[in-house]
Amino acid sequence: MKYEHLFVFFEHDDGNPANVSFEMLGEARRLMDEFNRKYSRNEKVIAIILGHNIKSLCERAIHAGADAVIYADHPELRYPRIMVDTKIICSLVRDRQTVAKVVETSEDYVKPRYMFFGADAIGRHLSATVLAELESGLASDVNKLLVDDVTITHEHKTKGKQEKYEKILFMYRPDFSGFLWTQILCLDNKNPEIAREYSPQACSIIPGVFQPIIDSSRKGKIVEYEPTFSGKDLKIRIVKREIIKSEVPLEDSRIVVAFGRGIKDSPESNIKLIEQFANTLDAEIAISLPLSKQPYSISQSLKSTYFIPARVVGTSGKKIKPKVYVAIGISGATQHIVGMKDSEFVVSINPDPDAPIKDESDIYIQGRMEDVLPLLLDSIKKIKEGGN
Amino acid sequence: MQSTINVAVMVKLEPDLSEGNVSYNPDGTLNRSQTRSILGPHSAIATRASFYSKVLYDANIKVCTMGPPMADIALRQALEICNADELHLYSDRAFAGADTLATAETIKAGIRKMGSIDLVIGGHRAVDGETGQTGPQVAWKLGFNFLGNVIDYSIDSANRIIHAERLIEIQGLYNILEEVECPLPALITIDPSYRERYNTVSQRLKYIKLQKEAMKKAENYKQYLKVWSAKELGVDTRSVGLPGSPTIVYKVEKVPRAKASRQTRIIDVSKDSELKELGMRLLEILNSK
Amino acid sequence: MEKYDVAIIGGGSAGLAALMELSKLGLQAVVLEGAKPVGSKSVTGGILYSKNYRNAKVYNVEEVYKNFLDDAPVERRITGYYLNAVSENKVYTVDLTDAHNYQTNFAYSVLMVRMNKWFAAQAEEEAQKNGGGIVSGVHVSDIVWENSKTIVQTDELEPIQVNAVVAADGVNSEAALMTGARKKFDVEALYQGVKSVIRLPEDIIDERYGLKEGEGVAHLFAGDISRGHNGGGFIYTNKETLSVGLVYHLDSLIKSPIEPYTLLDSFLTIPQVSNYIKDEVPFVKEFDRDLPKEEQLRMKFGISKLLKSWEELRYTYYSKTARRKAIESRLYKSEEELRHRLDETRKELEEKFRVSFVTNYVELEYSAKLVPDGKRALMDKPYKNNVLFVGDAAGRGVFVGTRIEGINIGIDDAARAARAIARAKEHNDYSEEYMGRYYGELINESPYTDDIRKIDFEYLKIFVNACKEIPTESLNLFLRLGFMLLQKATVQDFARAITKMLDQRTLLALIETNEAYVKIPMEVAEKIGRTVNPDYKIKPPSIDERIAKIRINDDPEPHIKILDPNSRFIKSMVQLCPTKCYIMEILDKERFKSEVVLQHEGCIECGTCSKETDWKHPKGEKGVTYEYG
Repeated sequence: MKYEHLFVFFEHDDGNPANVSFEMLGEARRLMDEFNRKYSRNEKVIAIILGHNIKSLCERAIHAGADAVIYADHPELRYPRIMVDTKIICSLVRDRQTVAKVVETSEDYVKPRYMFFGADAIGRHLSATVLAELESGLASDVNKLLVDDVTITHEHKTKGKQEKYEKILFMYRPDFSGFLWTQILCLDNKNPEIAREYSPQACSIIPGVFQPIIDSSRKGKIVEYEPTFSGKDLKIRIVKREIIKSEVPLEDSRIVVAFGRGIKDSPESNIKLIEQFANTLDAEIAISLPLSKQPYSISQSLKSTYFIPARVVGTSGKKIKPKVYVAIGISGATQHIVGMKDSEFVVSINPDPDAPIKDESDIYIQGRMEDVLPLLLDSIKKIKEGGN
Repeated sequence: MQSTINVAVMVKLEPDLSEGNVSYNPDGTLNRSQTRSILGPHSAIATRASFYSKVLYDANIKVCTMGPPMADIALRQALEICNADELHLYSDRAFAGADTLATAETIKAGIRKMGSIDLVIGGHRAVDGETGQTGPQVAWKLGFNFLGNVIDYSIDSANRIIHAERLIEIQGLYNILEEVECPLPALITIDPSYRERYNTVSQRLKYIKLQKEAMKKAENYKQYLKVWSAKELGVDTRSVGLPGSPTIVYKVEKVPRAKASRQTRIIDVSKDSELKELGMRLLEILNSK
Repeated sequence: MEKYDVAIIGGGSAGLAALMELSKLGLQAVVLEGAKPVGSKSVTGGILYSKNYRNAKVYNVEEVYKNFLDDAPVERRITGYYLNAVSENKVYTVDLTDAHNYQTNFAYSVLMVRMNKWFAAQAEEEAQKNGGGIVSGVHVSDIVWENSKTIVQTDELEPIQVNAVVAADGVNSEAALMTGARKKFDVEALYQGVKSVIRLPEDIIDERYGLKEGEGVAHLFAGDISRGHNGGGFIYTNKETLSVGLVYHLDSLIKSPIEPYTLLDSFLTIPQVSNYIKDEVPFVKEFDRDLPKEEQLRMKFGISKLLKSWEELRYTYYSKTARRKAIESRLYKSEEELRHRLDETRKELEEKFRVSFVTNYVELEYSAKLVPDGKRALMDKPYKNNVLFVGDAAGRGVFVGTRIEGINIGIDDAARAARAIARAKEHNDYSEEYMGRYYGELINESPYTDDIRKIDFEYLKIFVNACKEIPTESLNLFLRLGFMLLQKATVQDFARAITKMLDQRTLLALIETNEAYVKIPMEVAEKIGRTVNPDYKIKPPSIDERIAKIRINDDPEPHIKILDPNSRFIKSMVQLCPTKCYIMEILDKERFKSEVVLQHEGCIECGTCSKETDWKHPKGEKGVTYEYG
């Protein structure tokens, strides 16, 4: 087979893996298991990792679903750099010898069958340059995948004749409106005038969509690849690199507990209560805009922890869509609603039954947080203890 | 004596999705015939970024786009923003239906025809279904260094080096602010959070002067416009448009909706059973996939 | 460091006039303005005058901007000026057109943001000839003098070195405080004004106010209009809008605080006023919430698009110029076709989207501003070092009874400042002694300075003449005496008699009484007014809706700091802040402990709270941006 295996580009920053890497491997595992069953084949999921001192990541990639890992370790590869990374990835996946070292590979192997990248600041651009070099198709921002055969008639691809394509990756990407799903296929030109084979069929995958697998009993081969590159591949020089801290990961949190002006009766003790509640549910804490202006006299440490713009949800803050959003003492100004309305499940606690937040809630509890939170906290603790 | 910096900007005509302008079909899809097209918002940011090089380095700017003849509106709007010196429209039936790879092929050919180019600037992505891939693919095909997610840049024209600041967001991890530099020629794509910094009064005054001049030029924008056919660009028609596209859109379907709208349920916390039910529900949702 | 001849702080009408005049005189001047676009933080009542003094020179707008009369986006030429005394539904109207025309070449109603935009375009073109211009979106943070250099610092840009500064940064001038040229204005020297810009088609305005094309009127209101506070109301007709609002003494308000928007609402509800502003307004029913979200979204987009075209059609149909243009450009074949399209669109809205049409009014923009009362705010020495103060920043405005002028004075000041600076440049001496004092002299020569300081009895006589129908028994003894004297004696006699009796301050105190503002007009209206019944029940938008409409680019760094959260003044801000930025927060219920807190989000930078706060404008481009002003 000229085109074999699914290659996943494992993303990390200086050894810190991105979540999307595990999510991609989880989906790759499921997809290839299904593929091998359906087509009675034995093709593999191969993770590619570039970096410096990244050996520990290789094992984690295996646990997350890879059959094998090919890695390149070099000081020049410590941080993602698109030009040199592209060059190495492309020569690696085209190197039959290397691929054959980790998994069983046909003699006529040329290129991968499928390839996955993360649809974020690293993978989005890298997927584009890699596929430009490999001269094949790419779908971006994919959130559903399946493999199937397809019979189509296409003006250019088949010159109007009906043709069957096998083992095609159906790449689904949501439309900008959010209403539509587009299925993108990467197909060879079977039109004799412009006959061409396109492989790999590649895509970038939206972070946070697929479920990772963590199975530490999984085993697989890990092989080092010796990259060759020259000065002209290293023209991009990193002058300075700074991880932006104090960033509150509201966007990534599955549950967000937000509070507003309703804490006013006794800010300090209410915040303590909210902290406890959030900790019990492993939630991130957010605030409504007015609080970022620090309207209360409270301790400096509370001020700098919570009353900061990075925690604001709303038009002048963050737009988030966690699984659960708990709005405590927030009346629900439009500016705030805009930031949280896409949450899956919304609970609000507010003494005012006319507060607009009520209509944006799945569950509304009328009452002051001082009264409601302790009860709710207690109840959840009990369930947790009972459940274990 | 410094030589001129030559900048190319890649833009795109896109439907105007702002409220009051956008029209939808009964099935929820975009009604393209009822929705007016404009210079895409990310293209506009890229164009703004190019204007920075005009104000600071007196760059010569050429704006290009691929699209139907009416896409010259986007070029006109870009001219208004960046005071471009030339507008290039790649318009030919042969280009139609292109995916990213085929689009990149056309634009690469177009930029090669511009002569010596030091810097190509593109938008982050298009709003109507494009992918943010055209930029890096054009860069690769041109053999230019590529820098994405640029939020600030400056040019050392004597040494022909670009210095850029990039914002790299890695979901679930952290964000990185990266300062990089590389020799020209390069292709950069501009992050939506790009903010140009004109730090001195004279830069601001020059900005305004050039902007005014741009508005005047835009009245006669056709004077600066050149429309290119596939033949004039010298591209192989098998590598552009539909024939040159590895991917096809096979099907478009509606995304199944999890829920229509919220039905608010009111819970009485004085009742233990309701509290417990809510607690269970919360934990259940959190433990689900 | 970059060097310029002059930095002008503030790009309102005065600052822009300074740029224009300085540029004409060949100086390289730069306007530094916080708002973007330039001048979009300005608000006016407002009328722009061109004055004609027999014995003195003023720099009028049409002299500063040569193409003003041909080109400027003025609204309507004011051809009628009326004072309405109101008591409930009784109104007595005095025609003050003659008083208004006194020493006046012309007067136009204007919307300040649009006007400023035009001023800016003219001034910028002139300034570019000398390498100057306008830099908007920068906030001047300090002026420092170092080794005989004057350095202007901003939050945004590298500092610049200049020879002179024109401070045109308005009533809440930060330059005044930076330089120590004056203290903040006392509340006694300020008025607070609130205004809403109300939309109404051109032809309907013409018809309702009995106007020919391009003509306009001003209606002032006194009496039962501001819940007993000392102040007055106004309606000015613009081309396709009305400027409707109130101006009242800030100290009168601090004594018995009431929300400005409540005052505005009760003013709008006066039958005479609500009948003047009414219109046909589409009312969109709420969507069925059970519909799927995308269906609701689609409806929303559908309605907003159709409403937009209905409005466009209506404003084209009811505007002589727009109608003419639309037919000329073959957009529509005829008036009939336009009418037909308008009716069709309306029908579609009614039938397809269940939109109904009700009588109400359309408020476009809510705004508020402090106005310096020249009589008390005027800076005696409008300069400090090489910084010259003009317009509102120098506390200069004529505010005597029904005579209200501000914009024209700022423009005149600016022209004088420009001349003083040009002379200083010639002699290379920008010192306070040379340049500042000369500017002071030029300002003293301005007839406006006299008008601010003294009552012009000639004007007063015309005024009193217009009031001759009013029975004098409703007036207090002093006013009655004045009325009688003015009607009988010659002006000179009267002036002599009065000045013998009283000085200016006492005179003002007597005239600016609650009696004059409220009681007398009410009595007059009750006695001889006509009855006006309201045609409908007006529904003003809530203050929240009003704030939601204002474009405010929130500055994450608070630009105002409360000095003492428990002072009486700050407590009164809970009511007096026009956009509810001050809130009484209960700290401890049991001990009744509470404190005033400030939330900046809605701040429109009126400066009402400035007296007892550390008050600055937000950084460049931040804060409020008005569309009409």
